[in-house]
Amino acid sequence: MSRFQRFPTAPARRILVCRAIAILVSVIVVSLLLAMSGRNVGELAHLVLTSTIGSRFGLEDLALFMTPLLLTGGAVTVTRRMGLWNIGGEGQFYLGAAGAAGVGLFIHGPAILILPLMALAAMLCGMIWILLPALARAFADVNEIITTLLLNFVAGLLVYWLATGPWRDRVTGALASTERLPVSIPDLWGVVHWGFPLALLIVGGLAAIMSSTRWGYEVRISGASAGMARYAGMPVRVRIISAMLLSGALAALAGMFEVAGTVHRLQGGMADNFGYLGIVVAVLARGSCLAVIPAAFLMALILDVGIVLQTQQVAATVVLAITGLVLLLVAIADECAHYRVVTPATGRTVRKAS
Amino acid sequence: MADPVKQGNGTPPVLQLLGVSKYFPGVIANEDVNLDVRPGEILGLLGENGAGKSTLMNVVTGIYQADAGEIILDGYGAEFATPQDAIRAGIGMVHQHFKLVPAFTVAENIHLGWSETPKRTSRAVLEARTRELSERFGFPVDPAARVETLSAGEQQRVEILRVLSREARLLILDEPTAVLTPQETRELFTALRAFRAKGNAVIIISHKLDEVMEITDRVTVLRAGRNVGTWATADCSPNMLAATMVGHDIQRQDLHARSGDAAPVSTAPVISLRDVTVRNDQNVVTLSDVTLDIFGGEIFGVAGVAGNGQRELTEILTGLITPSAGTILLDGQAAPSGAAAFAKAGVGHIPQDRLNSALAPSLGITDNMAVREYDRAPIGSGVLYRATEAHALAETIAEVADVTIPDFSMPVRNLSGGNQQRLVARREMRIARRLLVAAYPSRGLDIGAIASMHRYFASLRDEGVAVVIVSEDLGELLGLSDRIGVLCGGRMMAVLDSITADSEEIGLLMGGRTSGASVQTEALT
Repeated sequence: MSRFQRFPTAPARRILVCRAIAILVSVIVVSLLLAMSGRNVGELAHLVLTSTIGSRFGLEDLALFMTPLLLTGGAVTVTRRMGLWNIGGEGQFYLGAAGAAGVGLFIHGPAILILPLMALAAMLCGMIWILLPALARAFADVNEIITTLLLNFVAGLLVYWLATGPWRDRVTGALASTERLPVSIPDLWGVVHWGFPLALLIVGGLAAIMSSTRWGYEVRISGASAGMARYAGMPVRVRIISAMLLSGALAALAGMFEVAGTVHRLQGGMADNFGYLGIVVAVLARGSCLAVIPAAFLMALILDVGIVLQTQQVAATVVLAITGLVLLLVAIADECAHYRVVTPATGRTVRKAS
Repeated sequence: MADPVKQGNGTPPVLQLLGVSKYFPGVIANEDVNLDVRPGEILGLLGENGAGKSTLMNVVTGIYQADAGEIILDGYGAEFATPQDAIRAGIGMVHQHFKLVPAFTVAENIHLGWSETPKRTSRAVLEARTRELSERFGFPVDPAARVETLSAGEQQRVEILRVLSREARLLILDEPTAVLTPQETRELFTALRAFRAKGNAVIIISHKLDEVMEITDRVTVLRAGRNVGTWATADCSPNMLAATMVGHDIQRQDLHARSGDAAPVSTAPVISLRDVTVRNDQNVVTLSDVTLDIFGGEIFGVAGVAGNGQRELTEILTGLITPSAGTILLDGQAAPSGAAAFAKAGVGHIPQDRLNSALAPSLGITDNMAVREYDRAPIGSGVLYRATEAHALAETIAEVADVTIPDFSMPVRNLSGGNQQRLVARREMRIARRLLVAAYPSRGLDIGAIASMHRYFASLRDEGVAVVIVSEDLGELLGLSDRIGVLCGGRMMAVLDSITADSEEIGLLMGGRTSGASVQTEALT
């Protein structure tokens, strides 16, 4: 008699297959719901495909969405390797955008100098924003999930205040944002700016740092087993702080790319949940830096689909619903990947767990 | 000794076990155990670690179900499917590690998960009920105090009161005095005698022979999961109990013989402890005034019942903790600080809990094997970590450890405990130029693996490395070590020459007795 048995490990290929099925199931569920609410699913599907991966405009949009998601997803993945959660990507994103905008607005010079300066200022601001949660985690064992999360609201309000108060646009008199930044990240392909390949490069670099530096090794060990880190005498506190600072810098860089490449102004609400969606990306990537790239692609696709559906009078919250559905089904798929049919050993035939 | 309540011949035992057996995959935890506790008596349950005491008590309290045998309660057969069944039947257990909610008050802890807790209630009602219970059973507690602010002895009183409030007639205490001060121990014993005087029964698990002699009426000894016998305490002596517990049939594997070209025992100690005292987070002294010299080319055994300072001693010797008082000298110099510095100075460490302290269970074999050498060439160079070199190292270690590994990225937790131990041992031997500290190195290994582990240690000794082995297995210590130190209550009771030492004498020292005429304390250098 055969039966299902849970194995402690799941091979990557099994996970991929299960996830593909999960995504297929979520597409079916979404289609069913749309059909039940009286929509022509075939027509919608055609529209969705042509306006996302089926057209140049759609692909440009995808790349624009992917750019910040790659960085915020990478930011959360770095802390996952340390066994921590940086829920504050949103706040660090805002601080990065503010820092970059501050340099862009008030320091004038050639773009080749100003842009790196903006990036530096952004990363510094992001690091400052996560410094307090990092120190509290390292020295007082304060849960970083709560501290990083709460600082998001502070950061969001801070940017609103800057954009509508001291830094408000005095040229056009618009009340919602600063004036247009004099420098911007040059465009590469349509509206896609150089931030996109840079973000890909940064994620690749992150993967290299994690796998081939002593720092990455220590983070890996400390995150996987606090007991072993203590046993080997690793400086766990210093690693907690450095991993969180790196995470903050990455999320802040996403803010800089967004303000200097896409939005060109600092405005309230501009983080647009990219910080939180980075958590989704990191969960989908399962702690692997390179897997952040396909995960960010999937997330960008969902965002894009949501916009297309909105133009067809489907509520904007559909993005959240689809994201939730995909996450739920992927989590189920990951668990299912652990199960295999086994035939109980009879006589001499013994099935080996691989 | 207080007079036990006399019972007529017709009174059945409170609890009787007939032929109880419990098996785990590949392990006999209990086999054919007979035991009875009568009303108005305190029964001592003795045995080494792993003798099956806890498993047996878990069967009695419904946490495990026996694979064979009967549980008879007041003369009637009983079956406990869940711990609640056992509680309802009047059996209460106080575990060695308290099961209280630290952030709750005493009253809240007492009433948690109790069917008699009033449905609608208030803090004042709970506290009043607790005060009443506390007076009825004679266990003074402060109902409004938060549990986390209480001392270990006070927490234990809360645990006992919680059990008694469920109308327990049989109280089982697992190592109740391990966390208590002598004063608290005396108070506990007074309360237990009062409980016994009402016709109730107590089973007390303890390693401390003095206390067993003091408080119990009868003693049952378990060895290797089986009942060795039951005696009236008045007929027992600590020597006899120690010998019964350990067993006479200790096999000595003689590895004392050194190879021809073995390095002689060094004249200067490799590591010296001077009046080293360790206090834990609760400020309790866990290692007390230990002065010790360990020389290169010798195997130093540490005997003692678990929890008597072995862990602290190994952590001191490997730099994981720093002493609260006293000094450590490594090769005559003040020791560096930190485990990494000790490892760099040539101190290897095989800890007790291999899987969680010496390994990262979820990471691959390669990552796990590199942990001692990732900071030096060829794996580490500058800031880099060379994965290919780490892989080569892992292959080398696996080869000498004689462990076949199909995939070096496989999580190390998927290896058997024995293979994990071999890999850790070989990894540590590579860096142990001066000292290797091994805690319970043969635990979880089969006989063949134990023998090869012992040969590893003997060969390290012959190379002039100092080896410290902590074990509960006296046979292992006597067969392997040159000298044996006995720990009890954080004190180094004595250091004996293993050629002349015998297990009975060590058993007595482990139980905290030094008065035996045969005890010879070797002068510490």
